[in-house]
Amino acid sequence: MSNNRVSRRQFLNYTLTGVGGFMAAGMLMPMVRFAVDPVLAKKGGGDFVLTEQKISELTEKPVKVDFTYEQVDAWYKSDVTDNAWVYKDGDKIIALSPVCKHLGCTVNWGGDKKEPNQFYCPCHSGRYEKNGKNVPKTPPLGPLDEFQVKEKDGYLMIGKVVPNTMVK
Amino acid sequence: MFWNGKDLEQFMAHKEFIDTAIVPLPKLDGSMEGIKQSASSSDFLLSLTNFIEQQFKGRVVVTPPVLYTAAMDQQLLLQNIAEQLEIAGFKHTFFVSSDHAFSSFNQQYNVIWLPSIPLESMDQKMKQSVLGDQLRQIIPIFSQKWGS
Repeated sequence: MSNNRVSRRQFLNYTLTGVGGFMAAGMLMPMVRFAVDPVLAKKGGGDFVLTEQKISELTEKPVKVDFTYEQVDAWYKSDVTDNAWVYKDGDKIIALSPVCKHLGCTVNWGGDKKEPNQFYCPCHSGRYEKNGKNVPKTPPLGPLDEFQVKEKDGYLMIGKVVPNTMVK
Repeated sequence: MFWNGKDLEQFMAHKEFIDTAIVPLPKLDGSMEGIKQSASSSDFLLSLTNFIEQQFKGRVVVTPPVLYTAAMDQQLLLQNIAEQLEIAGFKHTFFVSSDHAFSSFNQQYNVIWLPSIPLESMDQKMKQSVLGDQLRQIIPIFSQKWGS
């Protein structure tokens, strides 16, 4: 029926190529995977974290919103809880970082009784206006940073820190 | 700030602003009755001092915890540590402890005594609020010293 019968030599060639191919693939696959690994790696920091803050409950008065994410520091994994000062400016949601631009303390809204409508840093009496602008003649040299924000099913999501966009 | 190379560089550059050292003092007790309490209160002290560090990063340096046992001379311990921190340039040194034995030194040294709270059975949120309450008790002590 068929004239081209497979000779013993051909058969061995085919099987060897096949098996060899598998073996080569077995070796090369992990290498390729390692080579492209940096491309496939998930970007840290750019992800949004869901908070328990309902968007509808936000007002023009800044409130402290906690959010927790996992931080890996060498071999030490920990859940870090951070917070943001969040308020509504018209329809826009503003989330300011509480980290003082002087030496990194945590600022509080209305922390100084004399200035209830400013952010106050308890360490060296730094003050910021509501939009994060540092009050001149207090130690901080720049405005508070901002968080990127998103909404999901009526709840607030907080993203990465960006330089303040409201203070020119 | 913490007692590490990077933060200490900042400390040396801004000595006029960073004037306070905080020393956690967890007690080491290996006895059957004391070991659990010793570990639990050490966890509490370290969580609390880390929280203080987060709030007052730009003014305080939290040193590594100083383990001690009941048999050690506690007066000498405080004295030696306070001495070195003074040489380093800290105006205020606060010791944080949950051992009553230290509260008697409060005349000479700033010892903040707090009853230990077992954190191990709490979830993250609960811990946050408990530590927040503790911190609110400590802040007046700081502002009193800082203001004077």
